[in-house]
Amino acid sequence: MSQGLRNALPMLVLLAIGFAAPLLAVIDFSFMPERTFSLFQEPTLENYRAILRSTSYISFLWSLGLAVVTTIILALICYPIAYGLVRLAGPWSMVLTLLFTIPLFVSENVRLYGWVLFLIKNGVLLGTLKSLFGIELSSMLFTLPAIILGMVYVYLPFMLFPMTLGIAMVPNETREAAYDLGASRWQVFREVELPLAMPGIVIGFLLTFVLAVGAIAEAKVMGGQRIIPIVHDIEIAFTYAQNWPLGSALAVLLMFVVAFLVILVLRRFDLDQIMGKR
Amino acid sequence: MEADRGAMRSLILAWTAAVIVFLYVPAVCLALASLTASRYFTFPIPRWGTEWWGKTLASFEIHQILSTSIAIASAVTVIAVILAFFGALAFARYDWKGRSLYQKLVLLPIFFPQSVLGLALLLWFNALGLPLSWKTAVFAHLVWIAPVATLVIAIQVYSFDPALEEAAFDLGASRLQVFREITFPVLLPGIFSGALFAFLLSWGNFPLSLYTTGADSAVPEYLYAKMVAGYTPGVPVLGTLSTVGAAILLLGFWSLITLMRRGSLPRSEK
Amino acid sequence: MSKVFGPLTAVDRIDLKIMEGEFFTIVGPSGSGKTTLVRILAGMETASSGDIRLRGKRINDIPANRRPTCMVFQSLALFPHRSVGDNIEFSLKIRGIDRSTRRARALELMQQLRLPEGYYGRSVQKCSGGERQRVALARALAFDPEILFFDEPLSAIDYKLRKTLEKELKDIHRETGKTFVYITHSLEEAMVMSDRIGVMRAGRLVQVGTPHEIYTAPNSRFVSEFMGDVNVLPVRLDGGHALISSAVPADLRAGAIPADFREGFLVIRPEFMRFLASPTEAENVLSGRLYNEYVLGSRIQYQVRVGDHVFVVEKLRQQAFKGQLDEEVLIGWDGRDSILVGP
Repeated sequence: MSQGLRNALPMLVLLAIGFAAPLLAVIDFSFMPERTFSLFQEPTLENYRAILRSTSYISFLWSLGLAVVTTIILALICYPIAYGLVRLAGPWSMVLTLLFTIPLFVSENVRLYGWVLFLIKNGVLLGTLKSLFGIELSSMLFTLPAIILGMVYVYLPFMLFPMTLGIAMVPNETREAAYDLGASRWQVFREVELPLAMPGIVIGFLLTFVLAVGAIAEAKVMGGQRIIPIVHDIEIAFTYAQNWPLGSALAVLLMFVVAFLVILVLRRFDLDQIMGKR
Repeated sequence: MEADRGAMRSLILAWTAAVIVFLYVPAVCLALASLTASRYFTFPIPRWGTEWWGKTLASFEIHQILSTSIAIASAVTVIAVILAFFGALAFARYDWKGRSLYQKLVLLPIFFPQSVLGLALLLWFNALGLPLSWKTAVFAHLVWIAPVATLVIAIQVYSFDPALEEAAFDLGASRLQVFREITFPVLLPGIFSGALFAFLLSWGNFPLSLYTTGADSAVPEYLYAKMVAGYTPGVPVLGTLSTVGAAILLLGFWSLITLMRRGSLPRSEK
Repeated sequence: MSKVFGPLTAVDRIDLKIMEGEFFTIVGPSGSGKTTLVRILAGMETASSGDIRLRGKRINDIPANRRPTCMVFQSLALFPHRSVGDNIEFSLKIRGIDRSTRRARALELMQQLRLPEGYYGRSVQKCSGGERQRVALARALAFDPEILFFDEPLSAIDYKLRKTLEKELKDIHRETGKTFVYITHSLEEAMVMSDRIGVMRAGRLVQVGTPHEIYTAPNSRFVSEFMGDVNVLPVRLDGGHALISSAVPADLRAGAIPADFREGFLVIRPEFMRFLASPTEAENVLSGRLYNEYVLGSRIQYQVRVGDHVFVVEKLRQQAFKGQLDEEVLIGWDGRDSILVGP
């Protein structure tokens, strides 16, 4: 056994019993008859048929749509910041990175709850407006924009950090060379910076999208359950409805979308290059 | 580059500052809400007070939950760091046949919706007949946190020069001595960062805990239950406590690292 | 062209005129500010004070992408995601020149720089060190700049290839007739290529002159020592014409002594030092012990200890000195072969 494999073994065992096996169990369960709790019965496609007959596709579309919107908004928000962290912040970049990291360690529902306190009627925002200016507005809480705000907020670091890594991979001299050869700022960006930073940017997109597709807390806490994302459907099937096979089938469909994207992207990347270049 | 100066620079810095403010709005709101004397939160705050802090910190239930969370996070940290240390060596140090595939496998749990992972683990534990408790939660956290810690430590391993090990070996050290005297101390900062990430990510994790703790309740889960059930100022208190705790741990660690660097590498460059 | 900089830490009050069409080299140890100086000239950094003029016109405020200058970086900064051809054509593409014209120009440059035509579509990451150098130079030439700047592009290349590329670069300079401004830390490299050399130290230009002037008449100990192994003796003038050195037990004679000279250094190149059979054969004579000898290809270098001071003597191989190590030897030189420099 090679030294590398020997070192990798504990991790591989963990992934086998903690990641691969549960997912296989979910796949197996998705072929079990309705409302059973055993893995070993006559396989059936009934759960998938049930999904096709139901309105689950609406939840699916919501989840995908919200994830796309979140990813696009975050790309626009994060690019200038990532650029600034790499090129402009100098000695401050470490402190700024830390400030962006801290919220990551507080659970998302607590942070979202902070937003509820900010946005709610008589909360920090509306209360201030009312007492200072006498303006009374209706709260944006429990609307679609509130859900998007929550998602943008929660997934910001997952876009920002890979993007920063990507931009840090572009050697400054390469940008200068393009500039020196007559390229405008925009041309430097399009011809040199963007293509060279692409691995990091794509990973940022992927990570944000994948996590956002699985989002549930944002819609629950800030959307007042007005919009039901697919994971909410899955959760209901697993908990209240006690219909694990149906929940498993829904989870399998979601896993398909995620796995397709992840494998598509990760296959093309050389991780040594992205992480090792410092 | 020359054009980085001037208007563009100020614009980017202003934008960054604005986004940081945006990130801390909820924390400030929680802190404000925790300092209200009344039962319900309205703003501007009619009566300030720290009663809810006192009540929350004195509650037996809260103690129970805090100790569960600390137990989970500590166990996760220890196990994740051990797995991740060797995992990171395989990730970044050794050149072996399956490495590229292994690197991608390690990433998979990170690139996976956590709530779905939590439900899958719930189903899996059930199929194995394991009763849910804080121990199953530790395992669930590990599936996600050990890969993250691996990446954090791998960054340090990438900058590790294998010639150091060879030199020590050449100078007569045994394999174990090489590990104890060279590999481990050189990678120590990375191990520390990995441990810090593991602890904090476990501390703040909600989607995995929700489905896998069973009767034992961790802080994020407890808060969620309270939020759903109706408002109590105990929620902001505990939320603020956990935010400030994370910040102190992280900033403390950072200043420690900075101090250590200053001490050990006086004017290394220029 | 002249530039004056205010008291900047990196580059300090430099006043320099570079002639059109010349090959000018800036030499200095690392940290002497030579890279900063060239980056200011190329427009990648701003001077905190002073003017940069191109044919009398102030160009301080013209950014790098609109200056008629081009830089070859130390790292070469080739675009790794582009082919050899696309790298060379980059500036032409930026100007909106059509594909076939671009291609024709790129192939022309590749031929001039001895890059095989088949390399046009090859990834730059698959090129060898020397080929990458040529691609970088072709890319800069395609821009058709009035001035080309080189920031130590040859520093990472092995000796033999470096020597070839130095000569090629000089040929290209001759063929194109453009102004070349070259940075290096090796005075040897500068000597091979340059029309004129400027020596930098701690952000200041300490001497500007032709290679011959720099070699024969360095104006300071710093410049003379930069040339390689030289003998440097601290000396002061004692009343009349005799020089006294604390390092050796003898009065020394130099050629012309400047009127205002009081204290400084006497510099003697190792090739002007001789082994003597009798003390009458040279104006300055010292007795020492042969410490060691080193074969430097066509030359042989000897170290001779006189008291605590070590002298370096160099001879061509065919004129090698036949002595035993630790043998007592007489060495000497004539006053006109030495140079007096200030501190």
